[in-house]
Amino acid sequence: MDTDTLTTAIDEAVDNGLNWLNDHGGDFFDAIRSLLEGFYDAIEWILLAPPYLVVMLVALLLGWRTVSLRFGFAAAVGLGFCAVMGLWKETMETLALVIAATLLALLIAIPVGVLAGFRPRFDSWLQPILDMLQTLPPYIYLLPAIALLGFGPATALAATVVVAVPPALRLTAHGIRFTPQNFLELGQATGTTPMQMFTKIRLPFAMPSIMAGVNQCIMMAVGMVVIAGIVGSGGLGSAIYDAIRTLDIGKSIDGGIAIVILSMILDRITAGAVAAESEADR
Amino acid sequence: MSAATSETTGPLIDCRSVWKVFGKGSDLAIRAITERGLGKAEVLKEFGCVVGVADVSLTLNRGEIFCIMGLSGSGKSTLIRLFNRLIEPSLGRIFVRGQDVSAMNAEQLRQVRARHLGMVFQSVALLPNRTVLENAAFGLEVQKIDKARRNETARAALARVGLAEWGDRFPSELSGGMQQRVGLARALASDPEIILMDEPFSALDPLIRRQLQDEFRQLSKDLGKSAVFITHDLDEAIRIGDRIAIMKDGAIVQVGTAEDIVLKPADSYVEKFVAGISRLHLVKAHSVMHPLAAFRAVRPEVDVAKLPRTGTDSDVDELIRLAVDGRQDAIAVVEQDKVVGVVTTRSLLQGVRGKELGEATAL
Repeated sequence: MDTDTLTTAIDEAVDNGLNWLNDHGGDFFDAIRSLLEGFYDAIEWILLAPPYLVVMLVALLLGWRTVSLRFGFAAAVGLGFCAVMGLWKETMETLALVIAATLLALLIAIPVGVLAGFRPRFDSWLQPILDMLQTLPPYIYLLPAIALLGFGPATALAATVVVAVPPALRLTAHGIRFTPQNFLELGQATGTTPMQMFTKIRLPFAMPSIMAGVNQCIMMAVGMVVIAGIVGSGGLGSAIYDAIRTLDIGKSIDGGIAIVILSMILDRITAGAVAAESEADR
Repeated sequence: MSAATSETTGPLIDCRSVWKVFGKGSDLAIRAITERGLGKAEVLKEFGCVVGVADVSLTLNRGEIFCIMGLSGSGKSTLIRLFNRLIEPSLGRIFVRGQDVSAMNAEQLRQVRARHLGMVFQSVALLPNRTVLENAAFGLEVQKIDKARRNETARAALARVGLAEWGDRFPSELSGGMQQRVGLARALASDPEIILMDEPFSALDPLIRRQLQDEFRQLSKDLGKSAVFITHDLDEAIRIGDRIAIMKDGAIVQVGTAEDIVLKPADSYVEKFVAGISRLHLVKAHSVMHPLAAFRAVRPEVDVAKLPRTGTDSDVDELIRLAVDGRQDAIAVVEQDKVVGVVTTRSLLQGVRGKELGEATAL
């Protein structure tokens, strides 16, 4: 058997496998799809229902509390600029996708990360999987997702979650693992139960690392959500993808600017929260 | 039950022939120790295991401050962690308030640690995300005492260490000495009978250290606490300890009062240690006086009744002052209104050297 037929055989097996999943798990994947879409729609509705001035005000307040008043104003003005470019709806759709994907990713990453932090053997088993997820080009995940979940935001969401989980998971595990020895000793000598040791000692020391994980998670999600424009994520990703297809350079640059503004706001706000956490640790 | 009676009367900590052996194959090493009576050096040679604590027996009596002095690597930090079982002993038994610590299950151990064994660390280990008050209340919080009550107790403990006004600050705002006071307040707040002090003042400046040493001694005497105090500084051990154990290579070389150790060092190691220690406050009149009869026999011309007088517990510093002020070359030592002996200039000089009066010391 030469190598060509071998790869063809593998490709066929993968196709058959996906088809089989589609045939036999159709209801299951439909349910997942509507669940993901429902979640996304709810967040999108929250962001788009109020007039954009209200969202700008929220950004101002958040930026002020976590970074500085100046940054708060800059964030509000940046969002206003997105509206001026006529990309308000797209920007909010993208933001909704990022928020939805981040929440789902953290829902997986934090508990699993905590477990990995406690169980070195589970961690060593997990490492190669995380390595693989992080080294494959991110748009690879769009393919199985589109095969199972179809065209639309649910696919974008699922693929984004896969990309956003590993950094948050690693940083959570790292934070849990590296509690300073003398504080573990303090906990033991004080007579803490295992649960008290976790909530009162390990978790507070892990918080800066976990918050850095949240920040990484969001940044991965922003990057992926744009790529997911190909599978009909909606929002800025789709806007840019459409503009590229029609060679509308101006429009695609507008979309790019909106993404830069959005990612800078998200990054600075979450990084500000990380800084506040580490500040408390000193 | 015998345990119940010893809880109130016996020693607070009773440590019997305890060993701690680290390293792979320590099981075999332990068996060799019990069956063939191997020592530390043989264990290292035969099994490649490091002996952290070798055959240590000691007791902590009620109301006593017991100092364990040793250089780094002598096993003193390992030993103190055996008392609250932060480290499992390899061999031997440790009783805390009459109860065998090594036989306790996790819950019993937690109870003993939380209620009866406070601990203060060299690194202080104040939780940086909590205020000073919340840190001081940590032990009570772990015991699930409600917030109002634990804050009240913790506030009282902070006041005890002179930090009443600092409860709302964060540890990073405090100096090293103040942080260690919070560490002490945290241990005191749970009101344990025993406080384990693991080199608590080693990282502080000399002045602050002496101040805290005196405060700690005063505080534990006032509150009737007992303490095991680890240090690498003999001066500190002498200042604080009612009794001192000198540790070397995992074994205890000598146990005794400061005066015992300085005047009668058990071996050349201890002798070297005490060489630099000032005797002025350690050597007491009873160690350097001539018996009254012997003095009268040699110096019948001196009227003992006219000599300056002092008690048997006066230290050499006090004796020197009396000798200088009294313009006499002898001091009468009085016990229960009776002159029991005489300190002469020569015997006083012997005391300054830190030697006991021997037969050979001439009058």
